[in-house]
Amino acid sequence: MTTVSLPTRKPGRNRSAVATTLLLLGAAYCLLPVLWVLIASSKSAGELFSTFTLAPSTHLFDNIAELSGYRDGLYWRWMANTALYAGVGAAASTLISAMAGYALAKFDFPGKGTIFNIILAGVLVPGVILAIPQYLLLAKLGMTNTYWAVLLPSFISPYGIYLARIFAAAAVPTEILEASRIDGAGDWRTFAKVVLPMMRTGLVTVFLFQFVAIWNNFMLPYIMLGDDKLYPITVGLNGLLNQGASQPAMYTSVITGALISIVPLIALFLTLQRYWQVDLAAGGVKA
Amino acid sequence: MSLTTPAPTTTAAAPAKPAPAPRARSANKRSGVPYAFLAPALVLFAAFLAAPIVYAGWLSLRKVKVSGLGLGAKSRTEIWAGLDNYTRSLTDPEFLPSVTRVGAYGLIVVPTMLGLALLMALLLDADRTRESIGKFARISIFLPYAVPAVVASLLWGFLYLPRVSPITDLFEAVGLTAPNMLSSSGTMWAVANIAIWGGTGFNMIVIYTALRSVPTSLYESARIDGASEMMIAWKIKIPIVMPSLVMTFVFSLIATLQVFAEPMTLRPLANTISTTWTPLMKVYRDAFTRNDIYSAAATSVIIALATFILSFGFLKVVGRRAFNQED
Amino acid sequence: MNKKFVPFAAALTAAALLSVTACSSSDDSDSGSSDEPVSLTYWSWTPNMDKVVDAWNAKNPNIQIVVNKQDGGDPAVTKLLTAIQAGSGAPDIMQAEYQKVPTLVSADAIADISAEVGDLKAKFPDGVWNGVTLGSDAVYGVPQDSAPLMFFYRSDVFEKNGLEAPKTWDDYAAAAEKIHKADPKQYIGTFSATDAGLFTGLAQQAGASWWGVNGDAWSVNINEPATQKVAAYWGGLVEKGVVDNKPMYTPDWNAALNDGTQVGWVSAVWAPGVLEGSAADTKGKWKVAAMPQWDAAAPATGNWGGSATSVTTQSKHPKQAAEFVSWLNTDPEALKLLANTANVYPASTDATALLTEPPAFLSEQADYYAIAAEAAKAAKPFTYGPNVNVAYSSFNDAFAKAAEAKKASAFTEALTTMQQTTVDDLKKAGFNVAG
Repeated sequence: MTTVSLPTRKPGRNRSAVATTLLLLGAAYCLLPVLWVLIASSKSAGELFSTFTLAPSTHLFDNIAELSGYRDGLYWRWMANTALYAGVGAAASTLISAMAGYALAKFDFPGKGTIFNIILAGVLVPGVILAIPQYLLLAKLGMTNTYWAVLLPSFISPYGIYLARIFAAAAVPTEILEASRIDGAGDWRTFAKVVLPMMRTGLVTVFLFQFVAIWNNFMLPYIMLGDDKLYPITVGLNGLLNQGASQPAMYTSVITGALISIVPLIALFLTLQRYWQVDLAAGGVKA
Repeated sequence: MSLTTPAPTTTAAAPAKPAPAPRARSANKRSGVPYAFLAPALVLFAAFLAAPIVYAGWLSLRKVKVSGLGLGAKSRTEIWAGLDNYTRSLTDPEFLPSVTRVGAYGLIVVPTMLGLALLMALLLDADRTRESIGKFARISIFLPYAVPAVVASLLWGFLYLPRVSPITDLFEAVGLTAPNMLSSSGTMWAVANIAIWGGTGFNMIVIYTALRSVPTSLYESARIDGASEMMIAWKIKIPIVMPSLVMTFVFSLIATLQVFAEPMTLRPLANTISTTWTPLMKVYRDAFTRNDIYSAAATSVIIALATFILSFGFLKVVGRRAFNQED
Repeated sequence: MNKKFVPFAAALTAAALLSVTACSSSDDSDSGSSDEPVSLTYWSWTPNMDKVVDAWNAKNPNIQIVVNKQDGGDPAVTKLLTAIQAGSGAPDIMQAEYQKVPTLVSADAIADISAEVGDLKAKFPDGVWNGVTLGSDAVYGVPQDSAPLMFFYRSDVFEKNGLEAPKTWDDYAAAAEKIHKADPKQYIGTFSATDAGLFTGLAQQAGASWWGVNGDAWSVNINEPATQKVAAYWGGLVEKGVVDNKPMYTPDWNAALNDGTQVGWVSAVWAPGVLEGSAADTKGKWKVAAMPQWDAAAPATGNWGGSATSVTTQSKHPKQAAEFVSWLNTDPEALKLLANTANVYPASTDATALLTEPPAFLSEQADYYAIAAEAAKAAKPFTYGPNVNVAYSSFNDAFAKAAEAKKASAFTEALTTMQQTTVDDLKKAGFNVAG
């Protein structure tokens, strides 16, 4: 038995060793800056620039306390703001994308192709380009420097609609819609009770996707907001770093803040990782 | 929400009609429904994407005319500029270098990132049995996706600067001089590395998802026929994930052309990144530093058009199947 | 069925848009009377400005000031200009660096408050006052702080090398060479291409004034002898390798301050705060001296930073806003708070008497504010133009290249680029430009 299985398993093991090594190398590359930020956030301001870079210290909690003390705990308000922007923005965007994706995938109507292509073209437009005209238009409504200035533009996600359309096409069988209609369910009822549950996995992906996009967004809130109590974390940290010539950059606070700010996203990844199955071309490989 | 009539009328009307063609959807008769589902998206799209773009297009054709010293309240008027802003943008000596720079940057980033993503996805897929390591690697490689570009650039900035970088220490420990990542020859790689670091994980997941949806039985027969893992990957797996690769390519290309946050954050750290290092940085400089939103709008329009032509052109070449299978 | 569905979709979109109106209806009343309570927004990046403002708010229930802390001078101006362009969204009161005042006036962003504040000229040094009037009868703000250049150095390193604080730029160059020769890792300073403000101050000290008004036309004099002298001087030191060529305000620079490889800093009166935040462990090792001079017989200096408080053109209550602005920068109580709580160096001449204790980081330098006061008096006149940002971003690009090339000739060539870019921009916008 052993003599038979050895020759076939041996190359397998070698292969696996190479594969494992490569994977671990990839992981190491990706974790290096994270490891660095973890170590750096444990250092006092003096140590950060004097001790060996990868030598940890014991000041993590001092740094957190200092960061929390900055302008009466403003940092935590930034975290709460970010959660609000990302949570509400992603939820609304997911629902809107689901509705639009469902309509585009499951209905035939005049203008469908045009509408889809126009929405798709929206994927191509960089946020930097949109920021100023969006500001000028929102300013006409007197909405700049409010939560809405950041929330409303994030409700629309061409990418989310694109994904939702793929998911709706793949996950919602037309027959079931017919059946639901024959049962006398209205369109909205069918959507809420039949379509949404079937698209659930895909929609969680859309939600996560948009959540991360808003969480990481910088340009839009940077332009829209004048009051630092409304800032999300990216704009807030950037401010701690660039305070103008007459103020020192608050490196320890920025580094500690950066570390804390990625913890919620890591937690989100870990708890929802089975939803991270982004199939950009599901139609092509429908299993 | 809607507490009103359950409206049985419409469904009742359906059987009354002559039998519809088998594939035709009953939606055809209620043509308002899909539009209603689309309405919120369309309204928001119009308000926050279409209108700003049209507005940017309008601004790109305007300019401000100052009179005299420009210090009085009425000394500024907005006037028609025609295509002035476009000609100035295209003939700006800084514009062409920034475009070629982004081209070179794209040639580094897109193949490297997608190559790595494909490699990692294939390794994860081939290694399905080693659950714990696979899981650890998958999450680790995906992790950078959670780090905002601004923060990622700051972290890497620390790792690039000779006096604070552990990499310098490591090189010195073995008696070598570390490459200066922020020198004129290193800058491109320094910026590209941040993008590759941040983007590989996401693309890996996309490709991995596509691989996972293939039943293993497909490979088993190949293995029985004596095909090596390499051969299986090359002959079976890669063709299967091709549509996903095409899509990741398009989206990576778009992201590449829009490179902004990384060089913007690294710029104050070095002498080698100018304020017009990429076309979008030029847009930013014109709009925010020079307070000339008109030139910025014109450059924006040019960038948007170029992105549009490139990505749709690419899809035309590889076939529209992947993008829009149903039409 | 449609009936049931459509209202939902409409409601969803409408809800989003309508609730906005409800949320943003916090506008103040637009009556101009000073008896009615008003709430004014104030954009400032000065630390603890909210605590200074608390003192005002306690005494003026009818004019409440809300401070919106900004990230710094540049982002704040960017946002203000965008808001002006949009027609709404600007604060009532704005902290504005002196070099931004002409830009803001030209964009019609800040208002002439000469009628509201009355005659405050006597309370400020002439050069500073000129920065808010632009030489006219208008008053575009009240000076808040000034920032004369001084020379900061590591006394331990200077002593070890048998050096004293350089009196002239020749001394400085000699010291730079001596320090770097003694320890090739050590530099007396660095030429930072990211800090246009500092270079402007150095040019100002040498007698340059980059913009000027000739009748109804602007003149631009960046590529002129005094500035050329400064550029060639620093280019020479960089080319010799006795002054570093890396930007300031980077983690690398912080590390260099900490490990003692940067042992001097040409900076302004606010420097101790930056040093304390960047290299706290070097406390007690730093000293300050007056700037090295081109001509020791005629001491001169320039500025790096400093700002005024202005009222924006979008304010509906310019009168009340001006009242606050005037209090903030001239009232003894406010000046005390500015100096001690906000840690700025007030521009008002009355403030000199308030500043007796040296900054904590240089606690042994009892004459700190005496040196600062001398420096403030010696600041040379300098006129800023309406496109300082263009000149500065051109400085960033041109001098970054020159610093990277480490060639003195590249430094003077960079001035040609700056001059050209600045003039072209003015002409393009339609300003009258002389010459």
